[in-house]
Amino acid sequence: MTSNYQIAERLSTPIAIINEHGGIEWKNAAFEAMFGSDAKDWLKEGARVVGGERGWLQEFFMDGEEHRSTDVEIEGRTFRIERIMAIDGGAAKSIALWFEDVTQQRQMEQAKSDFTAQIVHDLRGPLSGIQGTLEFVLSQEGNKLDAMYTDLLQEAQRESERMMGLINELLDFSKIEAGNLVIEQEPVRLAGVLKRAVRSLQQVASRDEIFLMSAHGRDVPQVLGSVEKLTQAIINLVSNSLKFTPKKGLISVGAQIVRNGEAPEAIVITVTDSGMGIKASEVAQIWEKYKQSGNKSLRGGGGTGLGLYIVRQIVEAHGGEVTVASVESVGTSMVIKLPVKKSSDTGVTTASRATQ
Amino acid sequence: MSQVASPKPSVAPEWARLVADSIKQYGVWHTYLKLIEARGAYPDDLSLRGYTEIVRNNIVRDFLAHPRGMRVVPKLSAEFLTNFDRFNLTAQEGYLISLIDGRLDLQKLLVLSPFDQFTTLFNLAKLQHERAITVPE
Repeated sequence: MTSNYQIAERLSTPIAIINEHGGIEWKNAAFEAMFGSDAKDWLKEGARVVGGERGWLQEFFMDGEEHRSTDVEIEGRTFRIERIMAIDGGAAKSIALWFEDVTQQRQMEQAKSDFTAQIVHDLRGPLSGIQGTLEFVLSQEGNKLDAMYTDLLQEAQRESERMMGLINELLDFSKIEAGNLVIEQEPVRLAGVLKRAVRSLQQVASRDEIFLMSAHGRDVPQVLGSVEKLTQAIINLVSNSLKFTPKKGLISVGAQIVRNGEAPEAIVITVTDSGMGIKASEVAQIWEKYKQSGNKSLRGGGGTGLGLYIVRQIVEAHGGEVTVASVESVGTSMVIKLPVKKSSDTGVTTASRATQ
Repeated sequence: MSQVASPKPSVAPEWARLVADSIKQYGVWHTYLKLIEARGAYPDDLSLRGYTEIVRNNIVRDFLAHPRGMRVVPKLSAEFLTNFDRFNLTAQEGYLISLIDGRLDLQKLLVLSPFDQFTTLFNLAKLQHERAITVPE
């Protein structure tokens, strides 16, 4: 063990052994050079539990995952802190942490996200103008355009809708990457959210001769979260199903209550289609960014590969989980489980940043 | 900003294959009933709910594939009229069967039904499968 400490002592990366109260039990020279030798307020802060919310250090102690890392702001800089080992086994009283200064890296990521957000914002303006013009021309009664021109304008309208969808996905993605996905904790009537999502895509489904219907009653309990973001997640899932469901197919949007005794504990939302299904080898990847199944969209045109990634981020920011069930040539069901929180659980949470 | 674990892939990796094989060999209704049984054994398997929905979705899609679509008029079967004690109907099925008068088509039944569209169609498909109602060609 002594030799291990000697190796750690000589490393240029700050390493320290911290106890569950935030006290420093051992530190290497690099740690001392970076942070000094005194007890650290930011360590004490990380070890605190306030109103049921655990600090990052407490999370490290509580979580059984072998590898865990988090970004922590320390004296104006951003450090990626990684737990490298528990010193005394399972119920650890102290853990060894590895500190990496990622301030510059995060600033560059932020700049990239800001740039994307600005570009996306600038693209939306003129595209909205094009959409408005097309809608105006096509809605004029008694217009003298022959059928061929009307078809062409309708095609342009469909493509502009698709482009707006892609731009919106990029905008959401840039917000998530910048850690700006803020989820309000307001009571949300899920039945209303599901109905709104179905209604907003009913026209598209009818045009493509696909049945799109609700599969839930009105007695779906409320959850805490953001109406806007949850609606967006469901719309993303239904839009995705529309791409891969053939004519005369069916997409259903359902909700089931998971009970613990009498009390509702969680809501399971399903968006199910009778499409072509996903290959078993691709199922695990579909929630990753830029990943798309090998299936070709039946409606033409690809996507950004961000839609399902955004859904996952939104659901996880609500404390939920996502999974997928798929049978090739039979259909796919996207499944979301959201906890039913008590109305006393208020406050604002932000989406976690996925770090590798 | 803590690390987020990836969503877990289906806990029981064989469901996709089992469901596909079962549909091929025994049909959607048998598969549906087996999945309901399986949900009792694996209550925490979230993906199993998805597989059940896939099968339900296919049942309703097949029911809607009737050549007359929403204009089809379901009728009570002779068997139901003469021997309705044999049918063990749920409350929802019982309510829906009370609406069937040999004149109302699917579209009107959907309007009159207090249940959502999908549930109404699924229950009608089940009544047809159990031969309580017929859906003439």
